[in-house]
Amino acid sequence: MKNSKSNNTYEIKIEDSPLSLAEDIINDIKFSKEKGLLKCVQCGMCTSTCPAAQHSNYNPRDMIERVLEGDKTILEDDDIWNCFYCYTCHSICPVGNSACEINQILKQISISEGKADEKLKPFLGFADSYYSMAIGAIPSNFFEEISEDVPGWWDFRMKLEDIREELGLGTISPPQEVVDEVSTLLDKCGFKKCIDKIREADE
Amino acid sequence: MSDNKSDLKIGVFICKCGGNISETIDLEALKASLNVEVIEEFENLCSLNGRKIIRDGILNKNLDRVVIAACSPISHEKTFQDYVQPLNAYYMDMANIREQCSWVHDDNEKATAKAINIVNASIEKVKEAHAVDPIIIHASDKVAVIGGGISGMNAALSLAKQGNKVTLIEQSPSIGGHMAKIGKVFSPVKIAEECGMCLLNPILNEVVWNDNIEIITNAKVISSEKRSGTFNLVIEKSPRYVNPERCISCGKCAEACSKEVPNSWNDNLSMRKAIYKPFSQAYPEAYVVDMENCDKCGDCLRACPMRAIKLKGEKEKFPISVGSVIIATGHKLFDPNLRPEYGYDRYEDVITQSELGRIMGVNGPTKGKLEKLSNGEVPKRVVMIQCVGSRDEKPEGHLYCSRVCCMVALKNANIIKHKYPNTDVVICYTDIRTPGMFEKYYKHGQANGIRFIRGRPGEIVKKGDNLVVRTENTLKRQFEEIEADMVVLSTAMEPSEGTKEIAKIMDVGTTEDSFIKEAHPKIKPIATDVKGTFVCGTAHDPKDITESIMQATAAASKVSEFVHNGIDIEPFIAEIIEEKCTVCGDCINFCKYKAMTMEDNQMVIDPMTCSGCGNCMTVCKQQAITINGNIDDKITATIDGMLEGKKDDERRILVFLDQIGYTAADNIGVNRLKYPESIHIIKVHSINRVRPSHMQHALENSADGIFIGEYPGDLMYDEVENKIERLRNRLERRGINRERIMFAKVYIPYFTGLANKLIAFDKEIAELEDKE
Amino acid sequence: MKQIPDKDIIIFKSCLITVEYPGIESSTKYVFDKLGIEYKILEDQTCCTGLGHYSDVFDQFTTSVLGARNFSLAKKYNQKHFVMMCATCYAINKKVANILNNKSEVREDINEIFKESNLEHLTYEKGDIDSTKNLFHVVDILYKKKDELSKHIKYDLSDFKIATHHGCHYCKVHYDDTIGGYRNPQILDELVEACGCETIGFYDFKRTTCGSGFRQRYANKDLSMDVTKDKLQSLKEDNVDILVHLCPNCHVQFDRYQNYIDDDCKTIHLNIAQFIAIAMGADFNKVIGAKAHTVPIESILTDLKEVE
Repeated sequence: MKNSKSNNTYEIKIEDSPLSLAEDIINDIKFSKEKGLLKCVQCGMCTSTCPAAQHSNYNPRDMIERVLEGDKTILEDDDIWNCFYCYTCHSICPVGNSACEINQILKQISISEGKADEKLKPFLGFADSYYSMAIGAIPSNFFEEISEDVPGWWDFRMKLEDIREELGLGTISPPQEVVDEVSTLLDKCGFKKCIDKIREADE
Repeated sequence: MSDNKSDLKIGVFICKCGGNISETIDLEALKASLNVEVIEEFENLCSLNGRKIIRDGILNKNLDRVVIAACSPISHEKTFQDYVQPLNAYYMDMANIREQCSWVHDDNEKATAKAINIVNASIEKVKEAHAVDPIIIHASDKVAVIGGGISGMNAALSLAKQGNKVTLIEQSPSIGGHMAKIGKVFSPVKIAEECGMCLLNPILNEVVWNDNIEIITNAKVISSEKRSGTFNLVIEKSPRYVNPERCISCGKCAEACSKEVPNSWNDNLSMRKAIYKPFSQAYPEAYVVDMENCDKCGDCLRACPMRAIKLKGEKEKFPISVGSVIIATGHKLFDPNLRPEYGYDRYEDVITQSELGRIMGVNGPTKGKLEKLSNGEVPKRVVMIQCVGSRDEKPEGHLYCSRVCCMVALKNANIIKHKYPNTDVVICYTDIRTPGMFEKYYKHGQANGIRFIRGRPGEIVKKGDNLVVRTENTLKRQFEEIEADMVVLSTAMEPSEGTKEIAKIMDVGTTEDSFIKEAHPKIKPIATDVKGTFVCGTAHDPKDITESIMQATAAASKVSEFVHNGIDIEPFIAEIIEEKCTVCGDCINFCKYKAMTMEDNQMVIDPMTCSGCGNCMTVCKQQAITINGNIDDKITATIDGMLEGKKDDERRILVFLDQIGYTAADNIGVNRLKYPESIHIIKVHSINRVRPSHMQHALENSADGIFIGEYPGDLMYDEVENKIERLRNRLERRGINRERIMFAKVYIPYFTGLANKLIAFDKEIAELEDKE
Repeated sequence: MKQIPDKDIIIFKSCLITVEYPGIESSTKYVFDKLGIEYKILEDQTCCTGLGHYSDVFDQFTTSVLGARNFSLAKKYNQKHFVMMCATCYAINKKVANILNNKSEVREDINEIFKESNLEHLTYEKGDIDSTKNLFHVVDILYKKKDELSKHIKYDLSDFKIATHHGCHYCKVHYDDTIGGYRNPQILDELVEACGCETIGFYDFKRTTCGSGFRQRYANKDLSMDVTKDKLQSLKEDNVDILVHLCPNCHVQFDRYQNYIDDDCKTIHLNIAQFIAIAMGADFNKVIGAKAHTVPIESILTDLKEVE
């Protein structure tokens, strides 16, 4: 795509194929709405119900328009990171599109192109906890802030094992052989490689 | 010309159908596979140039038989029967390679292979054809018009003026329909709103005074049986409890009545009594008792000076016979509570356009004054929301555009602006659709100061005293909260309950949205798929008053054609060989269609009633009955043609369908659904004509499965089902798996169901083959 | 209406419930036991990846691999149904089932990974788990048993002002399968009513997200809290005592951060299973898990009166 801005004019060249970005999205493993994306009429109902649009510059309708124009700058647009994944737009879209799913796919494309390392870094702890405990616990880098914001939370977490015991519940993490098994699977499916790449880029 | 089958000169004419066929089927391969006298292809065979090509072929090459490989015979059989003149109409057969091939298959190679089979079947079939002439029969000039709204009234009036006898059947206590309550109507050309009732009333009066029209109110059609081109309808009339002959509409009864109930004619915005007159111009001009709400106190009885009231009464059923039927059963409006985010149920000042119409109507609950229902004040800002339930694929919504709502909103907004220039009116829209002259009315509205915000609102909530509409203003790329003190929802038009009911009763096809479906969306927009039944108005699809009237008068004209030109009947029906017939009468009771009668010591067959099923032939000891057209041999030849050249690793399933099943199968193609290429459909006049010997022949000559589809309403249904069960038992003894024969119900409207059944049967047969 | 089971059930453990509100799990077990619902809880089930997935760390493929592994437990333990306590587990698992059943290339790729890992017993066959017939949320099961709830109710909670918060990932992701509507969700209101109480019904922002937004709560805290504040403000105007939840993530957002946003908010937060368990007379420490709550449950729920 070689769309360029000159003299404030967005040029659509004859050799551009504006729908190629939309096609990539439609073929993504996550997308469940088949032709819904192509049927968008820009009615704005997604934005009309969007919590992020009410409180930030995120605009799902505009995001879809840019996708349909093949405007790849959307991949580097910081606003798309404001989506709450609440799926309200997905549930009411009159033409059967899902801005929410498309938002997630755009981010995955952005990540795979190495454009979103900064966005992922704070959350890599989810990967670590899956490797160590096979659950997705809140990453420890947030603990300090949570402890400040939520009085009593740290004390509670310290007593978690006792409270669970009183409630008659089992261990937090599955047995080690299960943890090993899912670690193998995470390695094999390319997950580890992705995470390592982000970490390496950081160093 | 030669009568020896192998010497017959056959021409195959292939239609590309503007790419509809040629883009899927490789016509060169198809042509290469054929061994006939003449092979021609053309862009549009149904055109007059196509006729020339066909005629030239026939005349120059002395063709004996013709195969047209094109669309479905249901679309164009009549056309091509005409084009093959001077050949006999039945020396032509249509190979349906569009609806049942190119439109249902994606794989070009497989579709081409199947098209070859279909054409081969037609070639073999025409070789066995006999020359027969069509039979023409005239329909009765009596017509039933179902529904007494603006469409039904206009259709009835037009028919009556052409001399036909019309029965106008209306479910509610008065004719008039939605238009009576609409308040103002507008014309885009005049750019002015006019009084709807003033336009309706003359039509209503004309209908009432026309001697050729009988109006039956409080009544509905509860069953229909078609015989001999005649519809025998049973009408159920609910009691009115007031004798219209005596009632003088003085209103003393309603004054005396103490039972108040919401007035549905005012969209429940006002109250009426349990004895009431729907609206002042209602016809019949008489009061009526709403028995569901009447407590039978007798006050009205005592107040009536004319002794017109009787609180006892039973529903009355009576039959009528008519030659044709016009369905004008209309629409209802989308229930706004199905979009609860708009708070219709929660907030009094969220209303529908229909309710706004009543509020603005001088004969409405506020006598035409625009008032908020919550406090009676004139609203400062009215926000209208378009497409509520329309253009919405989510559950209970409709994919279609309801077509009139933009104009309705503009009309009501203009009326508000005329009367209350200080009230701000905002229309939230996705697209304003004002085609043709309506665009002028849109401009007129803008000039009046109506404001437009492009965006589909997400919700309406109450903040303090006011409502707040949350929407994106898409042109400003801005989330907005619009304060309003009245919100009006433009709700979708959807088929009325009466429309859905009558479709079942008359067995006419419906669209996926449950509107009555026309026989063809382009060229037969008024006829339904049941001969002699027509549709008009909003029972057909969303439309406005003008279009409803146009379609109503067109329907009347179509009925006239039907009455005056008669009906072509396919001549493949039973015939008595008088020399052999002993007039024993055995066939009379044996015929399920009751087509046989004895008149003047002779057996007579009613050609309109006979289905050509051939059942009578099996009971006639004298063998004095034959069926025209050499049907048995034609079916065998078609089977052989379909199975020609079948490879070992290939699966071919023969599907036998009569007119109803075949129409359903065509609908699969029309709607571009898919089924496997193994499915080969053969059209027969009556399923009963497919004999056990035919099926056995097919299975023993490499057919992998046989699918028989029959409409359960067909009088021969049980007979056919039993016959197939016996055949399955017999085949099993001969080592053929009984599961290779499938018997299934088919209905015209449920083409999706038929497609699924075909897919499932193909899968079953494939699994069966794997096992064997 | 979808067919809802009352046996052959695996209760699907939730990571957030495990470490933040373990009382939701014990309350669910308590209520299921009272209602005679047969279930198992498995120690070899792993987390659905939801938190990581919606923070964009776990992509759909990785999530589907781990989902398929969890689904294989149905065969291993001969239990057909999974019942989720967390809305996000519910949405994620249903999505994975749809992908595994409908996208054959993905299914084959995943089975290939199982093969390469010498874990062929995990192989997923099309249709093993049906998104509609085998995957449920606890509220679905409770809804089926709605009419039996009243028999077990010990305490009358009808004096409290109760509102409901329906998790987005229960209502809106697979909206065709949502019981009680998704445009104006009602299932929690109906369950509360089945316990002999009324809810305030509709309030502004009723169907709006809790505001956690997964990454937003941590990486975009102001935005996250702004959205939560809209809802809290609306609840405060209605003087709501109890907000009933169906998702532990919403629960974290409201219970942990309510007083961070507004010191003056007194609303307590209960999962529907906790709410019903309390009404049935369960012990605050041994079943409800009151100690995990930031807004103390006991601040509102004192001196409960028994039903007459």
